[in-house]
Amino acid sequence: MKRSTLYPILIALLLCTALPLILSGKTGEAAPEFTATASNGKTVHLSDYRGKYVVLEWHNNGCPYVGKHYNSGNMQKLQKQWTGRGVIWFTILSSAPGNQGYMTASEENAYLTKVQAAPTAALLDPTGQIGHLYDAKTSPQMVVINPQGVVIYDGAIDDKPTTDLEDVPTATNYVNLALEQALAGKQVETPTTRPYGCSVKYADSTH
Amino acid sequence: MLHTPSCCPSKRNGRAFRCIKREVRRRNSTPGFSRALTLVVSLLLCSLGAQAAGTPIPHGTLDLVAENQWITEGHDFNLGLHFQLEKGWHIYWLNPGDSGEPPRVKWQLPAGLAAGPIEWPTPRRLGTPSIVDFGYEDEVTLIVPMHADARLTPQGPAQFGAEVKVLVCREICIPGKAQLWLTLPVKSQAPVPDARTRDLFAAARKSLPQPAPRNWKFSVGDAKDSLVLSANVGHQITQAVFFPLAESQIDNTAPQKLAPTAAGFRLTLRKSAQLLKPIERLKGVLVLSADRAYLVDAPLSKPGAAKNIRDVGIYAAQSLKEGQQK
Repeated sequence: MKRSTLYPILIALLLCTALPLILSGKTGEAAPEFTATASNGKTVHLSDYRGKYVVLEWHNNGCPYVGKHYNSGNMQKLQKQWTGRGVIWFTILSSAPGNQGYMTASEENAYLTKVQAAPTAALLDPTGQIGHLYDAKTSPQMVVINPQGVVIYDGAIDDKPTTDLEDVPTATNYVNLALEQALAGKQVETPTTRPYGCSVKYADSTH
Repeated sequence: MLHTPSCCPSKRNGRAFRCIKREVRRRNSTPGFSRALTLVVSLLLCSLGAQAAGTPIPHGTLDLVAENQWITEGHDFNLGLHFQLEKGWHIYWLNPGDSGEPPRVKWQLPAGLAAGPIEWPTPRRLGTPSIVDFGYEDEVTLIVPMHADARLTPQGPAQFGAEVKVLVCREICIPGKAQLWLTLPVKSQAPVPDARTRDLFAAARKSLPQPAPRNWKFSVGDAKDSLVLSANVGHQITQAVFFPLAESQIDNTAPQKLAPTAAGFRLTLRKSAQLLKPIERLKGVLVLSADRAYLVDAPLSKPGAAKNIRDVGIYAAQSLKEGQQK
């Protein structure tokens, strides 16, 4: 085989083995690119937001852990606070059709209005593709991506893994910490935690 | 009181009503006095059973039970939280795995009594290829050791209150809260076991992981992306599953790779993505077969240290109780 044909093959092979390692969506690594349809009908490419901080919030409106943050107004407050400071906030719905938390675009839009949620957009991920790209285990799992497209936080929303509303005011919010530290040019002290909550209701979900 | 008559498994969901209907049907085939007696006895059993069916929690019931008939100053004793769940529903172990949370108890106790940490039975792996949880299905009893000191005086009965928060899940999760009460006499004589709860506590004890035999040696090696649990138990082991006590040490979904050795095994456990600092010890429950589960507390082998597996001892259930007192 001629050298000119061998090199592209080698490079392709290398890329094939290296790509899944690069794109695992873990803290300190490049955030996997995705394209999604938002409930507002727009198509969203993550790469369009390079240069901005991006928050990903895994959502399932039937999950009591998610309920804790929406019924207390905590999630809406975070969304308003950070989008107000130029951060992009995507609420992601990875529940498969028929599973808890699955929403059509119009259902999700009605929900966003009802609970006065204020994300940049709610992304519909009924195939679970984005969820699996980021290995999202629970709702509400949270991911923070920096302007360079690197994951700087992946894990729980805060340090109180309960469904109790009264735990919200006393909890340490990891998303706030990550964004504040990163915006201040500091290293994120807690770059990953165990995400708590309900399991993401993927198509293979049995619990 | 615990074993509800089979005619009447629970008063929930109208089952008690169905049970009466069934008894009425049966009555039609029984003549005279004896059929009236059957009905009376059945209804009596049903009402007793219904009482014992416990406090409702989402998709199940919860009972607070005592191992002894009474309590006595200076004699520690056990209470039990007996969960009965509808088919398909589960609750969680101390380390719930990738989602969920363990039951939590807030005790209201008379002076002189103190609750110890829950003794957690060996959990099961629940879940899917992408999300793995640890917990219990069907039925489980959590034993709670109680300490009675000298302030406990035999003046009237002692009332125990337990506020239990429990997350019950199947495809979906429902948080539940139950307030349980139990009254026990206080006597000066040494306590005597309660025959009604004997089987329940015996079964609960059987489901607890045991301290590993003293001559078993465990150690953990750090192999980049994995932790390798090595065991020297004197014979080859061909089946082993490890349940980590701490969250975020190992990747719960990753297959645990077992390599049998002449004197035991090596079990490769992929590290959790959330594990950023090296661990010092690996604690958990090692399940070798349905009725052989052991507590493991293995130190991390220091690189360059003697290659021999060091004695790691047994953690006397204490570690399993950590994190319980929230």
